Amino acid sequence: MSALVEIRDLVVAYDGGGGATRGLDSAELYVASGETLAIVGESGSGKTTIGMSIGRLLPPEARIESGTITVDGVSVVDVDAEALRQLRRDRLGFVFQNPMTALDPTMRIDRQMIRAIGGKPSHDAIALLLRRAELDDPERVMRSFPHELSGGMAQRVIIAMAIARSPKLIIADEPTASLDASIREKVMDTLGRLREENGASMVILSHDLRLVSRHADRVAVMYGGRVVEIGQSATVLEQPAHPYTRALIAAAAGNEKPGERLEPILGAPPVLRGPCRKCAYEPRCGLARPECANSRPEARLVAARAVCCHFAEEVVEATSDAGEARTE
Amino acid sequence: MSQTIVELQDIVVTYRAGFLGGEAFEAVRKVNLSIREGETLGLVGESGSGKTTLGRVCLGLLAPTQGVMRFGGAPFGTLRQRRGQLSVVLQHSEWALNPRLRCGASVEEPLIILGVKPDERKRRVTDIFDSVGLGDGYVDRYPGQLSGGQRQRVSIARALVTEPRFIVFDEAVSALDVSVQAQVLNLIMDLQHKYGFGALFISHDLAATRYVSHRIAVMFRGEIVEDAPSERFYGTPDHPYSQMLMSSLA
Repeated sequence: MSALVEIRDLVVAYDGGGGATRGLDSAELYVASGETLAIVGESGSGKTTIGMSIGRLLPPEARIESGTITVDGVSVVDVDAEALRQLRRDRLGFVFQNPMTALDPTMRIDRQMIRAIGGKPSHDAIALLLRRAELDDPERVMRSFPHELSGGMAQRVIIAMAIARSPKLIIADEPTASLDASIREKVMDTLGRLREENGASMVILSHDLRLVSRHADRVAVMYGGRVVEIGQSATVLEQPAHPYTRALIAAAAGNEKPGERLEPILGAPPVLRGPCRKCAYEPRCGLARPECANSRPEARLVAARAVCCHFAEEVVEATSDAGEARTE
Repeated sequence: MSQTIVELQDIVVTYRAGFLGGEAFEAVRKVNLSIREGETLGLVGESGSGKTTLGRVCLGLLAPTQGVMRFGGAPFGTLRQRRGQLSVVLQHSEWALNPRLRCGASVEEPLIILGVKPDERKRRVTDIFDSVGLGDGYVDRYPGQLSGGQRQRVSIARALVTEPRFIVFDEAVSALDVSVQAQVLNLIMDLQHKYGFGALFISHDLAATRYVSHRIAVMFRGEIVEDAPSERFYGTPDHPYSQMLMSSLA
């Protein structure tokens, strides 16, 4: 598999009151063509920053300080405006969290679809695209304004727009967070099917671990502006090697037994003012030792995934013991 | 046996669109529910199933078209009579709190309305901030200076400061991060142990609901299709719609 997206040593800083803060602290990531990669983490972990930097869709106060982003052979960091526009238009498709703010409230859906497709598409072409996104009554949808659609329908319109020009990469930022639990699965299935039909790759940014475990081939866990663990979904989520991944799984409701208490992660994610020279998770980590505060863990291979933790082997062992205890 | 706080009998709520009647829509159809002291009832269902409408009926904000709502064994009466006895925590804490009031002032407001004396008010505000896990420093902060989880703690503090007998949590943790969500859910359970209020926990997230609730009612198109102890929702619930909701957790 070749890499469609390759991010190396990326540092992004946000200017703001009281000096710049680091959103990404030497983040590394690659996306293979045809795969679905999920990026998970708490708010402020940098998952939206890394996802949006693929299309250089960062807010004006963000600065790329160093590093490289290569998307399908284009170097996104220093490309000129016209080439960037071309990249976004022809090779990237975006699905945002809230469809109601992503659609223009003053324009009927058909006109917005024409803009997304480009050129002068026929009425039937628009209807076909909407039908592919599993909207049953495309005629009505095309005549509607966004406020006349339900959240799920509006998100399907957004999905139709994202795939309109057969992109090579779909970036979906919390695609189902604003939707009802009962339709989340269906919308994800549509998105997954269309990705497959196009042979595209997909990056899902989410904090819903259950959703991720079902729809992503690989998972990247972010913390403190870095990818701290990355590997096959089943490997990472069933037997985490980073204490933070383990804590995230333990905090999510859904896997506990009746009467069992969830373990929230105490404290808050760090706000980085400069490069972090230690393990960013050290202050919140139950396993932290002196080394963790003194040296920055680099990514290394442990039990079939890359992980940034000095004691990853111990974490893997501890989780496999716990797994066995549960099956007994 | 603890006392029943909220009791709904054959509640029907009909919304009418347009002037002079028009088309009627039954948002809630013949619902019977009861919530006891110290008990949390979870209410799950998709958008438009009538969850929030039912929550508004329980708070006395919406008079049902038919049926009877009883509070603490007596007819509900007027909202004025029920001041300080019931409360609500909403999804978006950034809209629920006045951005121009310091958090302490927001939490103190319900006590002012109840006519509590100033020194007593100050003591109770300090106590309740302590109970929700926020130190003294947060009393003088503005909502904009807090994180989502901290703001939701302030909303819970405000709901609890009058020591109500009944609280509605309407999607109270849906906007929060996984780790913060667990903190707030644990907080709700701990506070219930301490204060013994009855609660209605409205959410479309079954995982969070079954964790925090004693019983769960599943709502579908205005009707309660299943009302069972939460443990049922760790196995196989009866109604096909409940099973469908469960499948999204697998």
